[in-house]
Amino acid sequence: MISHAPILAILLPLFAAFLMPVIGILSRRRGIKRAREWFAIAVVLAEFAVVASMLPAVWGGQVLVYQLGGWQPPWGVNLAIDGLNLLVALIVAGIGTLVMIYSFVYMERDTGLDQYYTLFLLIVAGMMGVALTGDIFNLYVFFEIMCISSYALVAFRRKWQSIEASIKYMIVSSLGTSFILLGIALLYGLVGSLNIADLAQKLGQVSPSAVIVPLALFVTGLGIKIAVVPLHMWMPDAYQAAPSAVAALFSGATATVGIYAMVRVVYTLFGAFAIGIMLAALGLVTMVIGALMALAQRDLKRLLAYSGISQVGYVLLGIGLGTVLGIQGGLFHLFNNAIYKTMLFMIAGAIIYRVGTSNMDQLGGLWKNMPVTATLFVVGALAISGVPPFNGFASKWMIYVAGIEAGQPVFTIIALITSALTLAYFLKALNSIFLGQRPKHLSDVKETPLPMMFPIMLLAVLCVVFGVLPQLGIDIVRPAQEAVMNSGGYISAVLGGA
Amino acid sequence: MDFNYVIAMLLVALGLYCLLLKRNLIKLIIGLVVLTDGIHLFLISLGYRSGGAAAIVSGEMFSDLPGFAAQAVDPIPQALVLTSIVINICILALALSLTIYAYRHYGTLDPSKLRRLKE
Repeated sequence: MISHAPILAILLPLFAAFLMPVIGILSRRRGIKRAREWFAIAVVLAEFAVVASMLPAVWGGQVLVYQLGGWQPPWGVNLAIDGLNLLVALIVAGIGTLVMIYSFVYMERDTGLDQYYTLFLLIVAGMMGVALTGDIFNLYVFFEIMCISSYALVAFRRKWQSIEASIKYMIVSSLGTSFILLGIALLYGLVGSLNIADLAQKLGQVSPSAVIVPLALFVTGLGIKIAVVPLHMWMPDAYQAAPSAVAALFSGATATVGIYAMVRVVYTLFGAFAIGIMLAALGLVTMVIGALMALAQRDLKRLLAYSGISQVGYVLLGIGLGTVLGIQGGLFHLFNNAIYKTMLFMIAGAIIYRVGTSNMDQLGGLWKNMPVTATLFVVGALAISGVPPFNGFASKWMIYVAGIEAGQPVFTIIALITSALTLAYFLKALNSIFLGQRPKHLSDVKETPLPMMFPIMLLAVLCVVFGVLPQLGIDIVRPAQEAVMNSGGYISAVLGGA
Repeated sequence: MDFNYVIAMLLVALGLYCLLLKRNLIKLIIGLVVLTDGIHLFLISLGYRSGGAAAIVSGEMFSDLPGFAAQAVDPIPQALVLTSIVINICILALALSLTIYAYRHYGTLDPSKLRRLKE
């Protein structure tokens, strides 16, 4: 492990974000081309290396506790990293790196790229902070860093679409964070602590009726962040209006971070395994409504947004079942969802880059023009629909089996039907974009440029690898699942470890 | 003393009412600010102590730390509220600038008219 790796993982993108405008000015003065892009890619690659350096220790069963300023918990703010934190950090760093490489070409026609890369790195810093911190107020602050940068990035192009989407996103999401803040205030009033481990320990001795209100505030606030139906209205707008690279980052990494916060707060902080069944029920509603709404969409990015909502439903279902297999399946699906959802948004971006629209009514017959992109889209669509031998099949299968084992066969049946719906709307998308009649003006559309193709291909390879060798993926998520089930270990590691 | 909490919850309720029922972007933003200020008042009241001293230890106070702790206010809520105020100023500034853009594009501040994306 690199020494001070936990704090480095947060500080690296944070400082780089504020260096970015300086680098932008320098590169214009000196006439160095693309200095910002290379710098940003170098930063996220370093970030990935820092996170990866923590892998051996955490997978060996250790909980890394890093005390900021040397203050002991529960007084000081600390970073606590167990298997779950690290899985999320890994997804954030990995997806961040790939989307940054993708932005290199995708964003080249935009102006104001200094701000784009600054905000991008701030989002990465915020997500990394949420993923690694062991302090509930710190989690709130990093959430806000992430969210404020996201509002600005959704509005980045300042067209009417982006402004409308950003305002909706901001008002709904700020309401959510206010709920989280109120929940934190109530918890602080109740037991007088902010450290997650210390809070968890002290809340165990408080009567359950006192924690219902804060728990409800947290679940609602975080539910808005991860767009659980019926709190999902902002998400399709935001994903449709944001630049595709940003939408790819949101759907892959930000959604993951939101689910992490939900799991950490509900299971570790409140120890409320009993409300898991409520999460599972919410997950069911979310997946069915998300899939039904996706069927009716005409815009590819909007369709992908609804499908993202639907996939989050699967994750919540698996995690909510609360069994070993369920949580493993849910987290594995979270991991897989980050892979193929990012990839599909990147493909949507590639189509917009070449054609200029993602409205499926105006597209058609692009297979002849973009055969590689079309093949990759098929891989992504099959993976997300849970068709073997792709990764979506492996994780969905685990969730189905977990549903039956937990004595909820109805859940499994609904999940299966939703899978069929998923396949249906992706076939519709495939048909109207890549097959069928090609409008005349699309006849000289070219293939996706290689620097954009590279991250998409890498993700497609991952889809196949984790589909053929699901054991590999399960090995990656097992430490996370053990961490979810073993909140006592987390608490004693944070409070007992000097 | 308990009066604080009543006012705080009243502010939260007012903010929520404003967010749910008003049909003007500026009013929505005001509602958001009132809501968070209610939460801030609640937080700061948690650490309040009538006639308490500021929680800064200096000079002769070191000799009688328990006695000092018995009359000092709780400093943590103050730190939290300061942080939260800064965050909310960021949100407020961004929200107002977006509202200006929205007015330029749509010529109205009615959020129910901002629904071209769904078409």
